[in-house]
Amino acid sequence: MTSLGHHRYSRHVLDRLVEGATTPGTFLGATERDALRRRLAAVPTLERRRVDAWFVERGATASTAFAWNPSRARRALGRGALRRLAVDPSRTPLAVVTDEILDHLARAATGYVGSGTLAAYLAAVDGATRALCAAEAVTWATQTGEAAATLSYPWTIPPADPYYDVSGARTTLRGQRDLVVSADSGRVLVRVRAGAPGRSAGAGLRVDLLVDALADPAGAPAARVVGLWPEAGVALSVDGTIEDLHAGARAVVRAVVVGRRRALQPA
Amino acid sequence: MSPAALSPVLLALRGVPEERPAVDLDAAAALRARLEAAARGVARATPALEIAAGSLRARRSTPAPVGAALRGLLVTSALRLVAVGARPQPPAALLAAWRASEGDSPLALASDQLDAHERARLESDVAAHVATLRARLGRVPAAWAPRTAVRAHQRLAGGAVVLRDVVDLMVGTTLGPSAAVSLLDVTTAPLGEDDERVARYHALVQTLRTATVPLRSAVLSTATGDLWCIEVDAATLERAADDLVAIFAAPVMGLAA
Repeated sequence: MTSLGHHRYSRHVLDRLVEGATTPGTFLGATERDALRRRLAAVPTLERRRVDAWFVERGATASTAFAWNPSRARRALGRGALRRLAVDPSRTPLAVVTDEILDHLARAATGYVGSGTLAAYLAAVDGATRALCAAEAVTWATQTGEAAATLSYPWTIPPADPYYDVSGARTTLRGQRDLVVSADSGRVLVRVRAGAPGRSAGAGLRVDLLVDALADPAGAPAARVVGLWPEAGVALSVDGTIEDLHAGARAVVRAVVVGRRRALQPA
Repeated sequence: MSPAALSPVLLALRGVPEERPAVDLDAAAALRARLEAAARGVARATPALEIAAGSLRARRSTPAPVGAALRGLLVTSALRLVAVGARPQPPAALLAAWRASEGDSPLALASDQLDAHERARLESDVAAHVATLRARLGRVPAAWAPRTAVRAHQRLAGGAVVLRDVVDLMVGTTLGPSAAVSLLDVTTAPLGEDDERVARYHALVQTLRTATVPLRSAVLSTATGDLWCIEVDAATLERAADDLVAIFAAPVMGLAA
């Protein structure tokens, strides 16, 4: 049976969810990886596929071409800012976001950044747009930082999201995690999401759980994945059980199949 | 930043730190239970009854003209810039920044259709409101952790009722032993009696969202510079719940969004 916990947000809910996580009694070995590869390879594609929780939650609906805007910049800037804040808690969210933006601008000034990067975007936009990016990032970093500050366990901001390239299936799985908490039972991942959780939010969290386990060299899953929706005041949790990993893999395969059917339908 | 350097608006939001009440972490559950019970009465409504702060402003229940809607959005953008200590930007730059991030929403497309005369009028209007905003608000201390455009989305009775909210400016921490979060709504219209309901609504939704009762909730008019600020306590939240229960009971009155 899969696990999905629904909790109202309160000051100590995150700490309780970390405390209640149990050590996973399973791991993803070569057999499981190969089974997933075969399933995904059986769904042909001409282009390289990128599958993440959002793709699964949206029922394999193709998203429009990515373009940076202040809302999309908030997580990237906010995470960098939060990492700086963790190093020096005496600083303000605004100060660390400003440093983060200046870092991106300095990188863009070297001329070695790609045209689609956040650094290139920040360097190209006017001062008003850049300030809106800062405002979005400050709000994100403050909310996430306040949630993290309620934890009694050590936590870190991971430097990057986990990726897993499924060999021979032209598919890349991408997970997301904003905080990694070192609990007694193992690592607990926390994702901060916008809006309110939909009916497929649990499937999205299982995809994050799966990708994180696949990206782990030993295939060890996180003890728990917690999705935090600050706007809705809701936290959902999924445990690192074999049933949840299987459910995550099924959700990925189902989304890829649906995406393939959609691609074959005449426009 | 010393209190002497704070604007009257910020001083009102801050209150007297030594006199702040202990943070109330228990009120949310009772309020939610009451609202859930009342919302069950509209549980058959399809689609969901959606309520936003604007719904409580009865005089603005009809869709605002494009110019007024854009003016509100641009003044809110200016507030976001003030909150991060950015340099003042001309209204044309605010409009361009908002337009670039808005995509193809109906309002964004409508903004493209403004002629030169309408655009000039909008820009001068926004400039006046932003001047009032800057003069009244002053510089927001970064140590207050100002958050802008803070959204909330609360479902009641299994989604039959949805409470939506956007607080223009939120300051203070939710983590301290005393209530320290203050909310500010900025409106480009003169203040009316509905704005008191809006201030209460912000406080209620924030309480439901974070399970932490805020300290104060305020509404600032950039048309007149007036500020209404209320202390948030149990009575305030009960009145806010009364307002909502009244809407649940009479969704046909045109108050729902």
